[in-house]
Amino acid sequence: MLLPWEYGVRNLMRRPLRTTLTLSALATVVILVFVVVGFIRGLERSLAISGDEDVVLVYSVNSEENIENSSIAARTAALLSASLQGTWKRFGVTHLSPELYLGTRVRTGDDGGGLGLVRGVTRVAPLVRRDVRIVEGRWPQSGEVMVGKLASAKLGATDEALAIGQTVHFEGESWRVSGRFSAGGGAYESEIWCNLADFQTATQRQDLSLVALLLAPGAAASEVSLFCKQRTDLELRAISETAYYATLQQHYKPVRVLAWFVVVLVSAAGVFAGLNMMYGAVAGRIRELATLQAIGYRRRAILISLIQEGMLLAAAASLLAGAIALTTLNGVAVRFTMGAFTLRIDSVAILVGCGVGILLGVLGAMPPALKALRQSVAISLKAV
Amino acid sequence: MRMLQFMCLAAVGVLAGCSDQDVAQTTTSDATTDPATSYVVDSEPAGAIPVGEAREAVEDEQAVTLVGTIGGSAEPFVDGLAAFTIVDPKVPYCAEEEGCPTPWDYCCTQDQVKDNIATVKIVDDSGNPVASGARELLGVKELSTVVVDGKAERDEQGNLTVAATQVYVRPSE
Repeated sequence: MLLPWEYGVRNLMRRPLRTTLTLSALATVVILVFVVVGFIRGLERSLAISGDEDVVLVYSVNSEENIENSSIAARTAALLSASLQGTWKRFGVTHLSPELYLGTRVRTGDDGGGLGLVRGVTRVAPLVRRDVRIVEGRWPQSGEVMVGKLASAKLGATDEALAIGQTVHFEGESWRVSGRFSAGGGAYESEIWCNLADFQTATQRQDLSLVALLLAPGAAASEVSLFCKQRTDLELRAISETAYYATLQQHYKPVRVLAWFVVVLVSAAGVFAGLNMMYGAVAGRIRELATLQAIGYRRRAILISLIQEGMLLAAAASLLAGAIALTTLNGVAVRFTMGAFTLRIDSVAILVGCGVGILLGVLGAMPPALKALRQSVAISLKAV
Repeated sequence: MRMLQFMCLAAVGVLAGCSDQDVAQTTTSDATTDPATSYVVDSEPAGAIPVGEAREAVEDEQAVTLVGTIGGSAEPFVDGLAAFTIVDPKVPYCAEEEGCPTPWDYCCTQDQVKDNIATVKIVDDSGNPVASGARELLGVKELSTVVVDGKAERDEQGNLTVAATQVYVRPSE
């Protein structure tokens, strides 16, 4: 015969201070798990959705995997436009975007700022980068910039410092903010976009970092790759944008592995803290447990009741932590080497966080309960 | 409920992933065990010249037989097309005992590669590149020595491309 469900619930209410402390400790552990899993999920999502499978990037073969280090001849864009058949064209406009992209010190009006990612582009860029949407203001004219939604997070500045009409300074020039854009959570959201010719003048460079082109329906990236192989004098390489971000995913694999390791460590610490608390809680109830055995309840029934208490507490702590994570952590911008991304408390994060929480309840309750029940009823009844 | 849907999808994904992998492995296995296609010949074409010499002597549209080693960059093959770059066999690459993970990129002799590299594209009867990876089609890999027979394509910059119709793969030493 099992103990009534209400018995476990009432037991939790009987010691409100201990229950509250245990609940707080469990909720803290689960929030920590949410933070780490939210970090991993945010980073993965940012890289996963940054690529468009129809976009091919052409950049220097000598720059390894880093486009910021790439330098290609300015005529590359015209050469690609003239040589490739598979580039998407509409209304006489070839969807091919020459870009100069680099990380540089950006200073905001309030003397804040930091290392920012600046991309010099032409008006064709949004035709190729199809996720980009101007959410406020307008496209930058000469001497102006358009800032991504997460650019302020990347710079460590306030949103107000990058508001429309404000001025930012980089490469010895002052630039007025003319608009803000989003990119569906992609990597561009942490960038600052300006006019390509202006940026080339400011940086005293005539070259490009890359050319991004949009493939026409049915066209294959291999045509672009073949062109790059044939023009060995240009020292170019072509890679689909999705493949490029997949290589970045690989690049950040150690970070992800480390983060998952932190999840395991935090969970283990939580289990030990839970065990400690439950040992204390059960130790004070040895006589109560022996009494239950004396009036006829089997050890298994008492064990199940104790696990039920632990699980109830852990589930409540998980719900509390989940509510806090969803309202305060979800969407918080995090600065990272490649730009910025937002913490993402999604279904996977909820599953892992709540799973760890409930596991804490079960694993925390079982060992002390088994220890208490192992003693004989006669000795336990005399326990102080 | 959404969690349940997620778990079901994950399970289906795992199963689908496993079956896809099986298919891919089977295909690769079949292709590598049977590389003899209409483009691969059993005997070496006569009169093959090395890439460096060809870059100096061969003109556009000229029939040419070229010998070279597949390499020149970290990724000498073009994904999805039967095309790759070859380097003159006289250009040395890192020896195996040097521990270089990608000796075919000629990282230590890049200055010599510039004038001793050519692109090979295997073309069909209509002159279009064959839409199949060269590894599977020809059974070659990085640092394989090949003799290709085809027509030269030159440009004003001195780049050499061979639109090849026949390939002989020299047995590795």
